[in-house]
Amino acid sequence: MYDVVDFLLNTQLGLNSPDWVVMLISHLIVVGMLFVVAPLQVLFLTYYERRAIARMQDRVGPNRVGYEGLLQPIADGVKMFTKEDIVPESADKRVHLLAPIVTAAPVMYMFAVLPWGPNMIAVDLPTGLLFFFAISSISTVGLLMAGWASNNKFALLGAMRAVAQVVSYEIPALLSLLFAVMFAGSMSLMAIVEAQGGLFISTTDVPSVPDLGLGWFVFTPVGFLAFVCFFIAALAEGERTPFDIPEADSEIVAGYMTEYSGMKFALFYLAQYILNFLLCAITATIFFGGWQGPGVAWLVNQSLSADNPAGNPVYNVLAGMLGTFYLLAKTYTFFFVMVALRGAFPRLRIDQLMNFGWKFLIPLTMINILSAALWLAITRWGTAQGFSIIEFAGEPGNLVRWVIAFAVTLVINVAAYWFLARLNVQDHVARQAALAAGWLAVSPPRSA
Amino acid sequence: MDLVVQIMFGVTGLLILGAAFMVVSVRNIIHAALWLIACFFGIAMLYLLLQAEFLAVVQVLLYIGAVAVLVLFAVMLTRQIDDPEEPVLFQRWRSTLLIAAILFSAVLVPTIYNHNWLIFTDPQPAFAGPRELGFAFMNAYLLPFQIAAVLLLAALVGAIIIAMEDQEQRRTRVLTLAEEIALRREQEPSPPTRLANPHPASSMSSNPTPPPTPEQAGEGT
Repeated sequence: MYDVVDFLLNTQLGLNSPDWVVMLISHLIVVGMLFVVAPLQVLFLTYYERRAIARMQDRVGPNRVGYEGLLQPIADGVKMFTKEDIVPESADKRVHLLAPIVTAAPVMYMFAVLPWGPNMIAVDLPTGLLFFFAISSISTVGLLMAGWASNNKFALLGAMRAVAQVVSYEIPALLSLLFAVMFAGSMSLMAIVEAQGGLFISTTDVPSVPDLGLGWFVFTPVGFLAFVCFFIAALAEGERTPFDIPEADSEIVAGYMTEYSGMKFALFYLAQYILNFLLCAITATIFFGGWQGPGVAWLVNQSLSADNPAGNPVYNVLAGMLGTFYLLAKTYTFFFVMVALRGAFPRLRIDQLMNFGWKFLIPLTMINILSAALWLAITRWGTAQGFSIIEFAGEPGNLVRWVIAFAVTLVINVAAYWFLARLNVQDHVARQAALAAGWLAVSPPRSA
Repeated sequence: MDLVVQIMFGVTGLLILGAAFMVVSVRNIIHAALWLIACFFGIAMLYLLLQAEFLAVVQVLLYIGAVAVLVLFAVMLTRQIDDPEEPVLFQRWRSTLLIAAILFSAVLVPTIYNHNWLIFTDPQPAFAGPRELGFAFMNAYLLPFQIAAVLLLAALVGAIIIAMEDQEQRRTRVLTLAEEIALRREQEPSPPTRLANPHPASSMSSNPTPPPTPEQAGEGT
C-alpha cells in the first residue's frame, strides 16, 4: 500500500510529500477498508447463521425483507439504532458505558495482523500470533466490567462464567498454536502462511515438493491434533453453542448482556460475531494455509515486485484476489461448522467444561508440543545438533525423513489421544457411579 | 521523529502516573482495579516505545489478560470491604509519604546517576525479540528460569491442595476420587445429606446432561 500511495502522490501527482504523510495515508486507507469490511461481514454472518440454523431445525428463517431475507440484517441494524438506550438506575454509569467499548475495540485490533493475501496485511508484526491472542484477552476485562456495572445477579454470573471459560480455554488455544510457531520458526502470521506452500507436504519440510499452496499444517499428525484442540478451544473462546454457558438464555437470561439495550447491546453482538469470524480466519490461516491455494504461488511469481521488475502488475491484483478468495472460502467453511455444531450439540455444564479443558485438552496439547519438537528434530536436525543418528535418512528436508516424522508423531498422538480419552471416560464412569450412589455432590470445580 | 517519540513518552508517562495515582486514591475497589489495567496498558506502551514489542505483547497478555482479570475476579467475589465512613488517607500520611520518598530516592538517584546506560542512537530491531529472549532463557539464564518454573509449580500445587482439602480435616495429601468415596463410606454409612459444594453454577439436577465423551468432542487423530 505504501508503494502505491507513494507512486500516486509523488510520482504521478508530483506533490513531493514527506514520508510520514505517505505512511499515514496508506495506513488510513487500509484501516478504513478493514473497518468497513468488519461490520459488513458481521451483517452477512448473522443472516447466514440464522438461515443455516433454521435449515437444520426444519424452519425457513428470515425470508421477508428483500430477496430471501437478504436485507434482514439491515432491518436489524435500524432496529438496534432506534432502540431506547436503557441504563439501570443502580448501575455504575461510567463503567456500564465503557464495557461495550472495551469489549469491541480489541476485537477490531485483531484484524491488524490477519494476512488476507500475499503481501496483504495491515501490519506484519514479528509477534503477530501472540498479539492476536493478547489483544483478544482484553475483551475479557470488558465482559467483567459489563457484568459488574450492570448491578444484576444474572449479569455478574454471566461475566464470571465468561471469564472462567475464556481464561481457562486460552491456555489450550495458545498451546495448540505453538506447533505452528515451531514449524515456521516465526510468530509472524505472514511467515506461518508462507511456510505452508507445497503439496500435502510443507515446502519447509521437503523443499523439493511442487508448490501448489497445499502444504497445510493440518496434513501432519501434529497439525491435525492441534487443529482439533484449537477449534474446540476457539468455540469456547467465542462462546459458541456447546460452550455458550456465559449467555445460557435458559439459565441466566443473557449473561453479561442482560442489562444492555440498543447500540450498546449491538456492540457486544458485533464484537462476538467479529471474534467468531476472526477465530475461524485464524484457524484457516494457521492450519489450512490461509491464502495459500493452487495458483497463488504462480500468480505471485508472475507479479511485479522488487525481485521481479519485469512482472505485470495485473498479476499482483489477481494474486491478491485469489488469496483473499481462498482465505474467505476457508473461513466461511469453518463458520458453517460452528453454526452446524450450534445446531447439533446441547450446552455443556460449567463443571463439564472445566473438566474437559483441564483434564483432556491441556494434556493433549502439551503432548502435541512434544510431537512437534520430535517432528522438527527428525525433519531438520543433523550432526550439528548432536542428532547424527537420523542422518541415515538423507539430507535434512528429505522425503524419507518426512515419512519417519509422520509415522513417529502419528503413533505418539494417537496413543496420547487414546490414553487420555480412556482416562477421562474412566473418571467419568467413577463420577457417575458416585453421583448415582449419592456419595458425591457434583464434581468440585470450585475455581469455576 | 524524535520529537514525536518524546511527546508520546510524555503522554504515556502522564497516563501511567495518573492511572497509578487513581489506583491508590479511588474509593471503589473495582474502579481501582480498572485503573490498574490502564496503568498496565501504559507500561505496555512504554515497552513499545523502547521497541521491545514482544515484551509489550506479553505485558498485555499476562498482566491485563491474566493478572488483572484474576484481580477483578477475586475482588468481585469478595464481599463489600470498603467502609464509606473511613477516610482514604489515614492521619500520618504525610510523614509516611516523606519516608517512602526518601527511601525510594536513596535507591533510585544514585542508580540513575552512576549507571552506565546502554543507549542506542539507531534502532536495534531484534534487541528484545522472542528469539533472543528464548535463547537467553535456554542458555545463559537456564537455572533461574527453571527455578522460577519450579516455584510457580509449587504455588500451583499449593493452590490445588488448599482448594481440595477438607476444611475440618486437614489431610497430608489430596485423595483420589476412589479414596475419597471410600473415606466417606467409612465415615457415614448413609449417603451424606450435606452437599460438598453449594456452587450456584453446578446446581444438582436430577437429569444431568452427560459430559462430553472425548469421542464426541474431538473425533479421530
